[in-house]
Amino acid sequence: MNNAYKLIVLVSITLVLIGTTVVPIPFIPGLGDKARIIYLHVPMSWIAVLSFLLSMIYSVQYLRKKDLVQDVKAQSAAEVGFLFTILATVTGSLWAKFNWGSFWNWDPRETSIFILLLIYGAYFSLRSAIENHDQKAKLSSVYAIIAFVTVPFFVFIMPRIVDSLHPADTIVDNQGKINMNPIMLSIFLFSLFSFTLLFFWILNVRMRTEKLKLSRISKNNS
Amino acid sequence: MIDFLEQNSMYLVLIIALVIWAGIFLYLNKIDRNLKKLEREEQK
Repeated sequence: MNNAYKLIVLVSITLVLIGTTVVPIPFIPGLGDKARIIYLHVPMSWIAVLSFLLSMIYSVQYLRKKDLVQDVKAQSAAEVGFLFTILATVTGSLWAKFNWGSFWNWDPRETSIFILLLIYGAYFSLRSAIENHDQKAKLSSVYAIIAFVTVPFFVFIMPRIVDSLHPADTIVDNQGKINMNPIMLSIFLFSLFSFTLLFFWILNVRMRTEKLKLSRISKNNS
Repeated sequence: MIDFLEQNSMYLVLIIALVIWAGIFLYLNKIDRNLKKLEREEQK
């Protein structure tokens, strides 16, 4: 990543943090200042979905080209996605303590993200259980594709078909219209954008590390 | 300054968040630069 990209990430996340903490927000019944979590918690979930999608795309590319670089890219994307899923879980759990009275309530949102963590946890177990690189890449690519099929169900569908305490109409109401104060909406969208930039930088560093490891392994073998 | 932060705790939260972000940014940037150095060595 070049220095200009890093500078944009530095400035934009700094602005997001300023917007998150000190820009006044309208009173939201039942939430109050705790509604500010939306600026940080939702981008974590969005990045988790984006990285699992990328992991699935790289896995498809591996199966098509049989190129191990695609496999390490899929692994890196899944790792970053797993990290951001944990961050979404922890931030949501802290918020739940102060809004619902307990860190964990087995709310449909909490249950679905927990299952998602188990699914991707199993992906890493699968990878660490196989020593042969080609076999590991082939099996984990198939697993990553099947695992991603469950992501839209657990993130978007399941929490909406079951009764949940999780605020659902904070951004979009039941009629599909945007239901957010314009200042809040701009900070929220800017936050999504800024964290996505940060995500691509982290992913880039992770992928380059894995590619370097791969090239050293092939040098040692030859 | 301390009086101001005592009365406006959101600014205190902001300072803490910015310190954490500065730490994460500097660490990530260091990893990136070290990686670039290793990549250059690998190409030689």
